[in-house]
Amino acid sequence: MWKYKKVILVKDTDTGKETVRFSELFNSALRDRGLDGEVQVIRSADINVYNQGIVVKIIPGNITYSKVEEKDIDLIVRKSIKKEEALKEIQIDPKDKQVRIVLRNCGIIDPENINDYISVDGYKGLKKVLEQNDRDKVIAEIKISGLRGRGGGGFPTWMKWSFAKDQKNDTKFIICNADEGDPGAYMDRSVLEGDPHSVLEGMIIAGFAVGAKKGYFYIRAEYPLAIARVELAIKQAREKGLLGNNILGTQFSFDLEVRLGAGAFVCGEETALIASIEGKRGCPSPRPPYPSISGLWGKPTVINNVETLANISPIMHKGGEWFAEIGTERSKGTKVFALTGKVENSSLIEVPMGITLKEIIYEIGGGVLNNKKIKAVQTGGPSGGVIPEEYFDTSIDYESLQNLGSIMGSGGMIVMDEDDCMVDIAKFYLKFCVDESCGKCAPCRIGGKQMLELLTEISEGKATFEQVDKLKLISKAMQKASLCGLGQTAPNPVLSTLKYFEQEYVDHIKDKKCVSGKCEALFIYEIIQDKCKRCSLCQRNCPVEAIPGDRDKGYAIDQKKCIKCGKCFEVCKFEAVNR
Amino acid sequence: MKLTLNNFDEETKNVKKNNKNWIKVGLSTCGIAAGADVAFATIKKVLQENGSDVEVIRTGCAGKCYAEPLVEVKIEGMPQVVYGNVNEEVATKIVQKHVMGKQLINDHIYLVKDA
Ligand SMILES: Cc1cc2nc3c(=O)[nH]c(=O)nc-3n(C[C@H](O)[C@H](O)[C@H](O)COP(=O)(O)O)c2cc1C
Ligand code: SF4
Ligand code: SF4
Repeated sequence: MWKYKKVILVKDTDTGKETVRFSELFNSALRDRGLDGEVQVIRSADINVYNQGIVVKIIPGNITYSKVEEKDIDLIVRKSIKKEEALKEIQIDPKDKQVRIVLRNCGIIDPENINDYISVDGYKGLKKVLEQNDRDKVIAEIKISGLRGRGGGGFPTWMKWSFAKDQKNDTKFIICNADEGDPGAYMDRSVLEGDPHSVLEGMIIAGFAVGAKKGYFYIRAEYPLAIARVELAIKQAREKGLLGNNILGTQFSFDLEVRLGAGAFVCGEETALIASIEGKRGCPSPRPPYPSISGLWGKPTVINNVETLANISPIMHKGGEWFAEIGTERSKGTKVFALTGKVENSSLIEVPMGITLKEIIYEIGGGVLNNKKIKAVQTGGPSGGVIPEEYFDTSIDYESLQNLGSIMGSGGMIVMDEDDCMVDIAKFYLKFCVDESCGKCAPCRIGGKQMLELLTEISEGKATFEQVDKLKLISKAMQKASLCGLGQTAPNPVLSTLKYFEQEYVDHIKDKKCVSGKCEALFIYEIIQDKCKRCSLCQRNCPVEAIPGDRDKGYAIDQKKCIKCGKCFEVCKFEAVNR
Repeated sequence: MKLTLNNFDEETKNVKKNNKNWIKVGLSTCGIAAGADVAFATIKKVLQENGSDVEVIRTGCAGKCYAEPLVEVKIEGMPQVVYGNVNEEVATKIVQKHVMGKQLINDHIYLVKDA
């Protein structure tokens, strides 16, 4: 038996500093009323409500109070502990903003045990599909659900399946795209590691719907644990008769094989991925023909993202209508995001489409790290863009994000604050694309490199406004003439930072200043005389003797000699060196 | 035993032994990088030392990356909680204080699932 009857969770959700004091206050109030043997007061590490002062939660019953003050404590003990009454004035009703479909089992079941998956309605979607034994019905259900591809493009899943189904061909393929190459993204890895069977089941259903007998899991080799768990899942599914010949005793046969990607970003592009499975170099080829018509070895091939496939089983099991009730008019269901960057709670989240960035950052993410000023959110990685704070009320759906000059992307979401320089961000993503370009087509191969050179000049204060015009011009050419999505979208981070943060470009070009303090070539190190304690540490550490002076006269940095190594900035114990 | 459309319901009805008491440890790449394998091993070891038969279950990532390693504890009659930042010391405490002592632990609760 539990040692107590109730627990009071206490958390200072502003600074965290008052948690200890308030829990002591609760303890003494309980002692005063002789309740300390019945109620345990706990300092909570997270109470899932943010920036609302002292928050208190009483379990059982889940009564939550916010902005609790000292004067409320005795009242809470008398009313909500001794009796079961709630103090209406300070009570709040925090709602979980997340909706878990794709991540429904992640963190809940043992991913290495097929019985765990089966015990939570696993393979019931497949069972229903095989009982109905009607391929058109499966596709109709997916159509009703409104599911769109989660790999970035947002193409309607039912349409892809339908094209492949209608091809008259004895050999067809299903491919699961688990290449996940965006910097900062780990959504697909988490699904494969946390619930591999959900993706398997989606693939088997896809195989039935389009008439494929064989499927490939294309997983990047850098994901050894995901690979191991998928391989184990395949083995267990075969043993149970859920994969292989005569699945669940029916006429339908389908099997799966794992193929490893060598970690090139471009191999996530569907035509390059197909080439890679065929044993060729992972280079994109022109579309059409689309893979659904002519894909792997020239056969009709459905290629879907991990997250897209993890949605299939619940849709078949619970119905397309159920799914379509979640989300917006044109973007149904949920989206998984890897929320990272300057946010308090870096986390893997799943939210209904239509939620706002504000809700995500402040109500799930817990706000901006260290209470700094937020600048923007980046979505879509190297193919996406930045969204400035003014637009944080925008609904998250495919179209709205595109209208803002970004994209939904596969789910990277990076919070950026005042210390992030937008020119530097643009440069980072562009450099990524230049490094990852396969070099097959000129607009991407040459254009990308030229853009990177221009951006580098801007970040070093060596550019004029002409460079910006050139950037825009090359962007257009790359968007229009590149062979694949990599080159077509590579200019997006540049264009969107230019669109919303033009002033930062102007600062770099005209004033040769990087206000965020990121672009090293533009740093000017200076000693703030008021703060300097004349300890001489910077002078002794400067590798080029650029800091003349002595303890009497003080120290100053000779800008002509300074090589901007930042050593003085690092060593000064009094924050007297500015940059 | 292979499943078929006919035996599916019957065969899958009781696949899961309904354990009243269990501890789940998030063992994905992210959790392991933060030390979840240490938490997992410690919890198993200390449970054994205490002669407890509480089941320890490996799971994937529950999403609260900022608080990895994550450990969820369900002990009958007690609130079901998720502990975060579970290092070796906290893992030991989870067994000694929570499982054996039937009390919750300070400073590491990240979520209480309604009790
Ligand atoms: C450069 C590039 C990289 C891509 N990387 C991925 C990836 O890692 N995972 C993915 O699912 N889709 C990726 N895609 C999109 C795929 O080409 C394809 O559209 C997607 O896998 C289709 O699945 P969906 O309809 O389920 O979204 C990438 C596209 C491009 C242009
Ligand atoms: S756009 Fe870039 S990555 Fe794509 S085919 Fe052309 S060179 Fe290769
Ligand atoms: S290290 Fe700092 S305090 Fe010491 S002399 Fe240099 S600027 Fe002044």
